[in-house]
Amino acid sequence: MVEWREVNYRRYGLQTAFWSVMFVLLLMILSNFINLSNTNQLSAYDDDWNDMSAFRQDIKDMGIETRSLVSSPLLLADIEDPRNTTYVVAGVERDTLSLPQFDDDGFITIASDDGYSPSEVEAIVTFVENGGTAIILEDYGFAGTIAEAFGVRYNGDQLFDTTYVPELNFNYVWMCVQTTPCSMNGSQIDTDSLSTHERWADTSSALSAHPCAIANGQAVTLEDSGVCAHHWSDGEIAYNGTYRVLLNNITALELIPNSNNPLSELAIRAVTSNEAGIDVNGDGKLVVSAIQSEETPDLYGRFNLSIEACAKSTCNPDDGGRVFFVSDGSPLINAIYDYSGFAEGEYGPTDTEIPANDNRKWALDIIAEAMMTSIQDDGLEPSENAMVIFDESRHPQNAVLADSYNTIYFLLVYFTGEGLAMLVLFLILFIAFEAVLIRKKDPDNWRHVFSIIYYGFGDANRYPYYSKVEKIRQVFLSKVRNQNGLTREEFHAMSARELVALINDPTLAKFAIEPTKYSLEQTVSIVKRVKAWGRR
Amino acid sequence: MWTRKAAFTFTGGIALILIGMMISNNQMMILGLALIAFIVVNSWISGHGDVEVQRTLSADNLYKGDDLYVELLITNRSNRKTQLLEVYDNIPHEMKLRSGLNQMRLNLSPGESARIRYVLRCPLRGHYSIGPVSLRSRNTFNLGVEEMFVDHHSDIVIFPQIKEVEEAFLRSRTPKMYTGATTLRTPGQGSEFYSLREYVPGDPFKNINWKAYARTGELMVNEKCRDAVTDLYLLIDSRDIARIGTVLKNPLEMSTVSAASLAAFFLKRRDSVALGIYGEKLSYLPPDTGDKQYFKILSALAGVSAKGEMPLQAVTNSLSGRFSRGSPVFVISSCEGDGTVPAAVRDLVGRGHEVTVLSPSSIDFERLVSRIPRMSYEVLKLERQNRLTTLAGSGAQVIDWMPDMDLSQALMQVRGY
Repeated sequence: MVEWREVNYRRYGLQTAFWSVMFVLLLMILSNFINLSNTNQLSAYDDDWNDMSAFRQDIKDMGIETRSLVSSPLLLADIEDPRNTTYVVAGVERDTLSLPQFDDDGFITIASDDGYSPSEVEAIVTFVENGGTAIILEDYGFAGTIAEAFGVRYNGDQLFDTTYVPELNFNYVWMCVQTTPCSMNGSQIDTDSLSTHERWADTSSALSAHPCAIANGQAVTLEDSGVCAHHWSDGEIAYNGTYRVLLNNITALELIPNSNNPLSELAIRAVTSNEAGIDVNGDGKLVVSAIQSEETPDLYGRFNLSIEACAKSTCNPDDGGRVFFVSDGSPLINAIYDYSGFAEGEYGPTDTEIPANDNRKWALDIIAEAMMTSIQDDGLEPSENAMVIFDESRHPQNAVLADSYNTIYFLLVYFTGEGLAMLVLFLILFIAFEAVLIRKKDPDNWRHVFSIIYYGFGDANRYPYYSKVEKIRQVFLSKVRNQNGLTREEFHAMSARELVALINDPTLAKFAIEPTKYSLEQTVSIVKRVKAWGRR
Repeated sequence: MWTRKAAFTFTGGIALILIGMMISNNQMMILGLALIAFIVVNSWISGHGDVEVQRTLSADNLYKGDDLYVELLITNRSNRKTQLLEVYDNIPHEMKLRSGLNQMRLNLSPGESARIRYVLRCPLRGHYSIGPVSLRSRNTFNLGVEEMFVDHHSDIVIFPQIKEVEEAFLRSRTPKMYTGATTLRTPGQGSEFYSLREYVPGDPFKNINWKAYARTGELMVNEKCRDAVTDLYLLIDSRDIARIGTVLKNPLEMSTVSAASLAAFFLKRRDSVALGIYGEKLSYLPPDTGDKQYFKILSALAGVSAKGEMPLQAVTNSLSGRFSRGSPVFVISSCEGDGTVPAAVRDLVGRGHEVTVLSPSSIDFERLVSRIPRMSYEVLKLERQNRLTTLAGSGAQVIDWMPDMDLSQALMQVRGY
C-alpha cells in the first residue's frame, strides 16, 4: 500500500510539474500579446490626455466617418474609395509580428524591428498611389519603413530647438508650417517671423490652395461651412494660413537622395530654426562643432520637421495620393490639440498649461483638404464616402483580451493578404480537406457477425520427431510390451533372443534390435508392419 | 460527433470564407458563412436516446443448437420525438441470427413503442449475455451522430447437447452396478423409511416425526433410504490440450456432450452423479440426484473452457477418498500429454472402482485443422493405441472416440476392451 502511495505521489508530482511548465509557457506567450501595464496611448478611441479622442470627435462633427484599423494595414487594399480616405498613423508604439513573407525580390523574408512588414508598407504605398491620403506622425517609433518607402527618413535622435516653450520645457518645440524658420521673442513666437503655409495659403493657384483658403471671406452659415467650420467666424470663412504647431519630444526628417519614390513630389513644409541641434549620442547634451567628430558627435543647424509627398506638384487630392510626414507622434494628443479642454480638466486634473496653438487648425485643414467633395454643387461639404482610418494596430490595448483579439485578427489578415501566408493557407486548407477525406469516417453500420472461428492447432513442431526411426522404435517396443502385458522392468530384463521370439517377425525384430539407418521408403514400410503387428 | 458530411461542410465553409477574404469576394464569404450557419443551426435540431428498453427471451437456458426467441420493446419516455434513432441489440458473436433482425431504425413520438423480434441459434455451449442495447441518434440532415447505449443485459446459459444413450451400451463386467433404481441400505434422500434419529439443527421440519415427538418428548426425524443404485463419478479433462480441433469439434466439446448425456442417463435412473472438472483447477460437484443436480451439472459443463495442465493423478489423489466404494468412475479425457493417467487409473481400479476411460482421439481432432504428415500421424496413432492399451491393461474399460463417431457408437466399444 505504501509503495502504491509513493507511486501516486510521484505521478501527481510529475503531473503538477508538467502543467506548471505549460502554464508558464502559456504566460510567456500571452505576455507578448497582452500588456496590462501599458495604458492605451495615442488612441483615437480613448479620452486620456495622451489620446486623440478630441481630434476624432472633430472629424465626426465634420460629418466624416471614422474607423479604426486594429489588425494590419494590409486591409487598406480593400478600401473602395482611397481618394476620399485618410489614413492616420500616430506614434507607432510597437513592432509588428515577425512572420515570413515574400519581399520585393520574391525571396522569403522575416520582417523584424521595422514596425510594418514589407507587405503592409506595400499596401500603404498602393493605397496612396490609388489616391489616398496618409498622415504619418512619428518620432522614435516603428514607422521608419513607411517613410523610407516614400524617400523620407526619420532621424531617430532627439531634436532640440530654440523655439521651445519656456513655460513648459525644452521638449515642447514649436513647428511653424512655413518654408522659413520662425523665431522666438522672449517666451512667445516672434509674430514677425511667422508666414503662411506655402501651398495652402497661395490662392493664386486654385489647384494647390487649400479649399478653405479659396473660400476665405465667403459668407456662409456655420451649418454650411462644412469641412471649413473651424475657420468659420462671424458668418463667414475666415481662413488664416499661419500655423504654429506645438510638438513634443521631436526628431528630424531627412530626405533620402535618389530614392525610388512612388510619389515624385517631395516638399518640405516645416523646418526648425537655424540653431537647432540633434543629440546624436543621446546623452542629453548638445556638443557640436562645424565638423561632426567623436568629441562633438551632435548635429547642429536647420532640420526638417514636416515633409509632404505628393503625386503631383499641386498636391491636389484629385491629382493623386499624398503623405504628410511630421517628426513627432504627439501633435494631436488631447492635451495639445484641445489645450483649452485640457486646461479645464476634461482629460483629468492637471497643473500644466499648454499654450494656445494651431494644431487643431492644421490637422483639420489636412482632413478638410483631403475629404472635401470635388462636386462643385456640394460646396464645402465632405464627400459622400469620406472616411478617416486610425491605425490602432500598433498601439497596445488596455483591455485584457483586446490584444489577443487584435493578434488573431492580424493573423487572419496576414493569412488572407500576404502572398506567402496565402500559399501556406492554401496548403493548410488542402491538407485539412485531405485529412477530412482520409481520417473522418462515419460510424460503421451495425451488423451482427456470426463468428466462431476458433481453432486449437496442436503442436506442429512434434511432427518431424514422430517420423524419426528412434521414436518409431520406441513406439513399437511399447506396443510389444503392452501386447504381452509386461511391466517395464520385466520388459527391460528380457534378453534379445527372447525379444526376437516375442516379436516373431524378422524384419521388425531386426528393426527393434539393430540400430540401422533406414531410408524413407523403408521407414514407411516398417511403420506399416508395426501397425499390422499384433493383429495376427 | 460530426459525420463526414458535416466535417466536409464545415471545412468547406471555412475554406470559402478564407478564400473569399483572400480574393475579396463577398459572395464566396457569404456562402461559407451560410455553410457554417447551416451546421450550427442543424446542431440545435438533434434527436435523443432517452428510451426505455425491455427484452424478453423465450428461455433462460437452452441446449446447444436450439433456437432462442428474443423480443425487444423500445418505448420513448421523453416528451420529444426521438428523430432518427437506430437501435441495435448487441448479441454474442457466437450466436447466429436465424430470422428477423436485431436492429431497427425508429422515429418514436413521445410515449410510442416499437418491438424488434428476432430468433437466434446457439451453436456453442456457454454462459452468454445479450446486451447492452446500442442507440445511435442522427440529426435531421445526418450532420451529427450521437451514440449511447442502454445497459440492459439478459443472461442465458447454453447447455451441452444431450445425446441418447442406450442402456445396453453400458453393460459392464459388474452388472450390479447398473441395475436401476433399487434402494440401498444407507441413509440419504429417497422415499422409503430407514430409521429414526434425533433432530439436529438444519433438518427440514417436514422430516420431523411428530408421533415420535409426542411419544418421547424429543424431536425425532425420519431418515430415508437412498434410492440411488450407486454414485457415478464423471471426471472431465478440460486441460489446454483439450481444445485441439475446430470450435465445434474438439475433445473438450465432445467431453462435455458425453458427460451431459451420461449424467442425464444416470440421473434419469435416479442414480447419483458427481462431476469433477480439471484443467487449470479442479472443480468438484459432489454426488447427488434429481433435477437440481442435473441443472448444476449442465451449468458447470456450460462454463467449461480449456485451460491449465493439471494431471489426472492430482485429481484422483484429491478426490478418490471421497468416492463411494465400488462406484463407477468415468474419466473423459484424450489422455494426451498427461503421463499420470495410467497410474491414476490403476489407483482407481485398485480401490475397487469400475473405471471407464472415454477418450476422444485428439490426434484425429488435430488432423481436422493441421496437415499432419502421414507417417507422423500413423506413429502418433500407434503411440495413442499403446497408451489406451496400457489403460486397458490397468483394468479400465477404454473407449477410443473418433471425431465422426456418435456417443452411442463410441460406448459400444466398451465391450471391446
